[in-house]
Amino acid sequence: MRRVLISAIVAAAALAASWMPSTQASGSDESSLDDLLAADCVDDAALAIAQAAGRLPQEGGVASDDWPPDAIGGVIPPIRSVSDPFPTFDGLALDTVNNRVIFSDENRHSMLVYDRAAGGASNETTEPVQWVFGPKTQLGFIAGVEVDPVRKEFYTVNNDGGDRMVVFAYDDHGDVQPRRTLILPHQSWDIALAPKRDELAITVQQSNAISLFKRGARGTDAPIRTIRGLATELEDPHGVFFDEQHNELVTANHGNWTQIRPYTPYDPIVTDVGEYKSGAFHPSAITFHPADANGDVPPIRTIEGDLTGLNWPMGIDVDLTHDEIAVANYGDSSVRVFRRTGRGNVQPIRVLRGALTGIVGPVSVAIDTKNDELWVANYGDHSAVVFPRAANGNVRPKRIIRNAPKDTPTCGFTNASAAAYDSKRDEILVPN
Amino acid sequence: MFARLANGNVAPKRVIEGQATNLSRTMHGIAYDSIHDEIVIPVALSGAILVFRADASGETPPLRAIQGTRTRLVRPHTVAVDPVNNEILTADPSNRAIFVFDRAANGNVAPKRMIGGERTGLLDIVGLDVDPKRNVIVAASRKGNGDKVGIFVFDRLANGDVPPRQFIGGPNSKLAHFRQVTIDPDTGNIFLAQQNTRMKQMEAYVLDKPRQGFQANQADEDDDSDSGRLDQMGFIAVYAPDDNGDIPPRAIIKGPGIRLAGAAGVALNPLKKEIIAVGGNGFQTFLLPEFFKPLIRRPATRP
Repeated sequence: MRRVLISAIVAAAALAASWMPSTQASGSDESSLDDLLAADCVDDAALAIAQAAGRLPQEGGVASDDWPPDAIGGVIPPIRSVSDPFPTFDGLALDTVNNRVIFSDENRHSMLVYDRAAGGASNETTEPVQWVFGPKTQLGFIAGVEVDPVRKEFYTVNNDGGDRMVVFAYDDHGDVQPRRTLILPHQSWDIALAPKRDELAITVQQSNAISLFKRGARGTDAPIRTIRGLATELEDPHGVFFDEQHNELVTANHGNWTQIRPYTPYDPIVTDVGEYKSGAFHPSAITFHPADANGDVPPIRTIEGDLTGLNWPMGIDVDLTHDEIAVANYGDSSVRVFRRTGRGNVQPIRVLRGALTGIVGPVSVAIDTKNDELWVANYGDHSAVVFPRAANGNVRPKRIIRNAPKDTPTCGFTNASAAAYDSKRDEILVPN
Repeated sequence: MFARLANGNVAPKRVIEGQATNLSRTMHGIAYDSIHDEIVIPVALSGAILVFRADASGETPPLRAIQGTRTRLVRPHTVAVDPVNNEILTADPSNRAIFVFDRAANGNVAPKRMIGGERTGLLDIVGLDVDPKRNVIVAASRKGNGDKVGIFVFDRLANGDVPPRQFIGGPNSKLAHFRQVTIDPDTGNIFLAQQNTRMKQMEAYVLDKPRQGFQANQADEDDDSDSGRLDQMGFIAVYAPDDNGDIPPRAIIKGPGIRLAGAAGVALNPLKKEIIAVGGNGFQTFLLPEFFKPLIRRPATRP
């Protein structure tokens, strides 16, 4: 991975350099440019790139093609570049039948598959057994992951940039096309499989909904039912678990809510949009809906309130053996475990949190009752950590899977689309 | 928040996040108010505008939040601040309108002005900035079929269903799938970040139902890892303040360097003559003093 990125950057720089005109800038401009460069370039390499870039505006035109005509600028390398060349774990799915664990990687748009027993105490990168990565894969800003151990398939959802679910087989590796794809509503986040019902549940942030499809749905197949509306209390839903044993859909909600209009920005405007409901900030919550629910159906029960400590809950898993729910609590870098039958403002029965745990910005969690383990995928660190299932408090993980060497930083971006410059602090501000 | 000189794979210096912030993990706009030292952020998923102290860090509540039935906000995506005239501007693609609030507004407050309606041409407004020196508002708005996709310039005090005083768009402009727009305060030059030259595809779903007759593109228009064809890649385009019509940019940053960013967002550091392009899970900084001077189209050099 590292080699791939470094090669790409080197190639890009060489490509840009090869297109650079060679004549000199005017004296006064060069002088002010040199002043700027002397003050700010962090190393010789950056200085060389910047000096080359600085010549381009004075050259005018574009060496690579003729558009735009007679413009200044063109193919220009940056003087500084901030990005993370390594994968970052996002969604997580565990197959204890075939002993695999599958992660989505939102940063590099890939899926990584490891042996279930992989990892340990090493500070080095853990090698995946499969890596699905490349333009044919249709992997964009992907989020939740699901696995079908019987059919040996794994699924992920493009949360942004693609609006589709993609399905791969266990022997897929490299730049491969998905076995099938399903077009989804924009901002779909997680996916949960119901093998007995042969259904899929998909959470949708934008429309505060759960859309349910037949398992084998593909293309533009429509959902067979959708849970959506004010009564549902679905509010910026993320992780979802399909509990076939109790016929429930268990969903983690961030609490953001606003209307979705019955038109997209590209449709003719609709004047009758019903009663205007303003946006709202609600507490994070876990909602439980009947699995057969369709339409604006209220939850059977919710776990919500200050005692819960829920704070941007992301992925969720349910332990049907011990009747427990585990939540990746991104907001305070913890994993919170609740009784499955909990209701209202209840405390978790266990909280994994603290410096020893290595839990940093967790996005997904999986419970392994067969091997009595609990898995956590970190977005804020290049790692996934594995604990004894009933671990509690500030305890060390028993194994660590790393997608980069220990202490490798991460920028933390999730499809950043805007920026501002803070002139007082000399900082660059980027919302996610 | 990153140090301006950050380079390589670095962690942010500060992060504002968590339940108490009222932010979400899906935000597409930001503005810095240098006079009052505040950060303004739209939260599309909860129909709100939040204002934070600029030195905030961690799980810090906002200083102010604009949200409620009087605001008329549905899904604000982009934001600008005018610290001179004490106004916050936001654009809401669900309303297809620009809303102007008092800068100090807090709670369930009605906008002071609204620019929206058929004559404005505004639809999916994804970028917004205000120039208090020249008294204009600049909005980047797009549409799936290519009609009225481009940069709209309005009088700063415009109100209601009014046409733009300038519009930059059309086939010669190559404006298609762009996002953030920003203005150099000294020259009034308009900078726009474009992700690629393909028109954004209409969303597959309307509410919870698939759009009738929807045909999925094999290529993902948001993907930043495609073929690298220069004629499809994104760029930073720069226009003079009075530019109007179906014209190409007067200055451009393109090529592999910008493609690493995806060019969804753009910010300026006029003092250091730097342009920051963000997107594709990273950002790049370009040093281009010429882009911060009055832009005059160079005479043609080819027959």
